[in-house]
Amino acid sequence: MTLSSVRRSALVLGIVGVVLTLVFHWMVFFWVSTEAILGISQRIFYIHVAGMWSGLLAFIVVALCSAMYLWLRDDRLDEVGRAAAEGGIVFFAIGLTSGPLWARLAWGTWWTWEPRLTLSLLAFFIYIGYLLVRNATDNPEKGKMYAAVIGLVAAVNIPLIHVSVYWLRSLHPEPVVVRADGPPALPPDMLITLMTALLAWTILLASLIVLRYTAGRLESGVDNLALEGG
Amino acid sequence: MRSYVEEVRALAAKDLRVEFRTRERFASMTAFVVLSALLFNYAVDWTVVSPQDLASALIWMIIVLGGLLGLGRTFELEKEDGAMQGLLVAPVRRDALFLGKVVANCVLLAAVEVIALFAVALFFQVNFIPNGLPVAAVLGLGTVGFVSLGTLFSGITAGTRMGETLLPVLLFPLLVPLVVFGASATSTLLAGFPATMVYGSLRLLGAFSLLALACGMALFRYIVEE
Repeated sequence: MTLSSVRRSALVLGIVGVVLTLVFHWMVFFWVSTEAILGISQRIFYIHVAGMWSGLLAFIVVALCSAMYLWLRDDRLDEVGRAAAEGGIVFFAIGLTSGPLWARLAWGTWWTWEPRLTLSLLAFFIYIGYLLVRNATDNPEKGKMYAAVIGLVAAVNIPLIHVSVYWLRSLHPEPVVVRADGPPALPPDMLITLMTALLAWTILLASLIVLRYTAGRLESGVDNLALEGG
Repeated sequence: MRSYVEEVRALAAKDLRVEFRTRERFASMTAFVVLSALLFNYAVDWTVVSPQDLASALIWMIIVLGGLLGLGRTFELEKEDGAMQGLLVAPVRRDALFLGKVVANCVLLAAVEVIALFAVALFFQVNFIPNGLPVAAVLGLGTVGFVSLGTLFSGITAGTRMGETLLPVLLFPLLVPLVVFGASATSTLLAGFPATMVYGSLRLLGAFSLLALACGMALFRYIVEE
């Protein structure tokens, strides 16, 4: 598969993602029923959960690519890791801004030092560091290696974010879809809306990662040509 | 096994000997922690809060910030005259090299911590004696975790153009669990509660430090690779 055909399929994937995003926003605003206790503010839930989900998914990709890069030293793995980190930061930013908006209405405060919130904010900064490091070295190979080490150390945080609502005393609600003790605790229309949101942003994330990856490959191709020419 | 311990000892002794002769890092870190405590005195209205309530926060913040000052320069010496190349071609294992740096940094930071505790005790009339041993255990475990991560990331920032300015960006997010458990245990102990109250925090601090040390030993070789 050539780079341009990969890029074309990523574009198609991206269009599907954008259409699904529009569909799930329509569902959130006009279709899904209003939650009895939290009222209209609960509709933020779909955007918030989808943002955090896609962000975490991206960071898992970063961790896997980092570990495999240290092992195999394949530049393509590093490129996917970088693309996933950038995508993850975008989706985490959506999750981290929609969270306080909802918290203000549901908990009565914009921010609270609650384990899951704190760990998520920290993860956001760790991946900013991951991107900063790779541009701060004179030797790009060193930058890739440093970034992979940080991507691997940062991976410790990912399971912590997930288990924090179970292990530590927490304000944050526990999962409502994948639960240890039974089927999803959501009414069908809410579940369908949430699933559409998750699907939409997972596809969008995948397309962003592949597009960024192809751009990165082109960049390094240009660099190599310049080196050969110079 | 014996030779591994020998390697670590020799590397740590080298760093400590250089530090003992120049006292560069020790002097700047000590001055930093004492002067921070002094500035803190003027930043807080002591008629509103009592020094004892803020003592653990003060201790942890000056140790983390002062420690950062010294840890950031861990590989400064090796950057000059190709000294790093010399170390890398020496017949020592890379994880022993890391462990040697960690041991030297721990000794250095522990010395600075003793002075920081004296300064806080003197300036703010905080009595560490009744719970001296548990406080030392909390600080000791915290130091191992902090130094392990700090040394690993200092190896990274030494190889970048941004240098020490990048170190807090990488290090602080990962230090949060350490400060949470360390500061809460210290504050419980300074309030006069028995050491049994902080066993949970001590265990978590120990687990964190062990994990940080293991991460550093496993990943350090990739950082110094040429």
